[in-house]
Amino acid sequence: MILKLNINNKFYNTNIESDESLLVVLRHLGFKSVKKGCDTGTCGVCSVLIDGKPRLSCQFLAARAQGHKITTVEGLGKKADAIIDAIVNEGADQCGYCGPSLVLTTYAMKKELKDPTVNKIKHYLAGNLCRCSGYEGQLRGIKKYMGVK
Amino acid sequence: MRFEKFVQPENLKTALDILKKDSNSVILGGTTFLRLSDNRYSTGIDLSNLKLDFIKENDHQIEIGAYTSLRTIETDPVINKYFGNLLPKSLENLIGIQFRNNATIGGAIFSRLGFSEIITALLVLDCELEFEENGKIAFNKFISNWNIKRDILTKIIIKKKKGKSSYKMLRNSSADFTILSVAVSNFDSIKIAVGTRPSIAKLSQKAAQLKISDNSKIDEAAKLIAKEFNFGDDLRAKSDYRKKIAPVIVRRALQEVLK
Repeated sequence: MILKLNINNKFYNTNIESDESLLVVLRHLGFKSVKKGCDTGTCGVCSVLIDGKPRLSCQFLAARAQGHKITTVEGLGKKADAIIDAIVNEGADQCGYCGPSLVLTTYAMKKELKDPTVNKIKHYLAGNLCRCSGYEGQLRGIKKYMGVK
Repeated sequence: MRFEKFVQPENLKTALDILKKDSNSVILGGTTFLRLSDNRYSTGIDLSNLKLDFIKENDHQIEIGAYTSLRTIETDPVINKYFGNLLPKSLENLIGIQFRNNATIGGAIFSRLGFSEIITALLVLDCELEFEENGKIAFNKFISNWNIKRDILTKIIIKKKKGKSSYKMLRNSSADFTILSVAVSNFDSIKIAVGTRPSIAKLSQKAAQLKISDNSKIDEAAKLIAKEFNFGDDLRAKSDYRKKIAPVIVRRALQEVLK
């Protein structure tokens, strides 16, 4: 089936299988920041924003994505800089595999959490697994970005 | 999970027709099993354009559309106002926010999965389900009846009640499935549900007869309730372990409701 997808405010026409995941389609289209990790809805590295909400693209049907606004970390552009700086300044960007999804989820969290606390940040990011287990550094950086002591 | 054809019917009637005519078709929920299941279907029926994503409230009840995401339920101010946060508590540790933004309440209920925490919580509320063909069915009846397979769940209706409720569980790590889940409510009478046994959650039959005059009786009551259920093994815990922790978790939930 042929789809017209809005990815990072640009339209892409693509031919897909009816049961293909958005993750596979995005990677075929060249959005390699969207990583394939567990591919079973657990690790979070395939996260993208769909209409501003973080979702796992490995379990989101590409066929359903038409008519929605998909954002990958490439689409955040300059808006991602402050998050990336906060993480890098704490030496928390280790292998980098979970980085794009962490940046996207943090971006969504900043918009959603009106009164952030350490516990609320941890809860929001619980679905972002880091295979280097660099959570402490990530948390330090993200706390600073969120303005939480 | 594989399917050859993807359809987005214009209304529920057409969707039901497709479901009835094609015995190898499936209604797509949050598709959280997209990569976990090996099932093959001829047609995947998508209802995401049929406005089944809603939470409505009137004086007597709350209605939740079947396509409402678990994350929406977890954060909705109307849901958070009632039932002592029972529903949000049963959802907040399920994998991660990205997963709960995908998973739908309809999919969670219709699949009748043993590890479903929201089923444990809904069992202690006065809850009905509305189906396109079968109409309204009590939640408890649907959970224990596997005959309803080829129908479309459209909404969940929860009666507003005054009283207390509690949700307790045990899990190995914060985003894992639970080893055991317990929900207790005290609206018209005490209701207790035990889930992840690891089979599907069930309501206690003895709970309504409980007469707990003081705190010292809670421990005794919790042991009595826990004995009522069968427990099994899975990769997270053995039945013996579940048997040991069940009275402890039931006691904690009862204490919270009765204090």
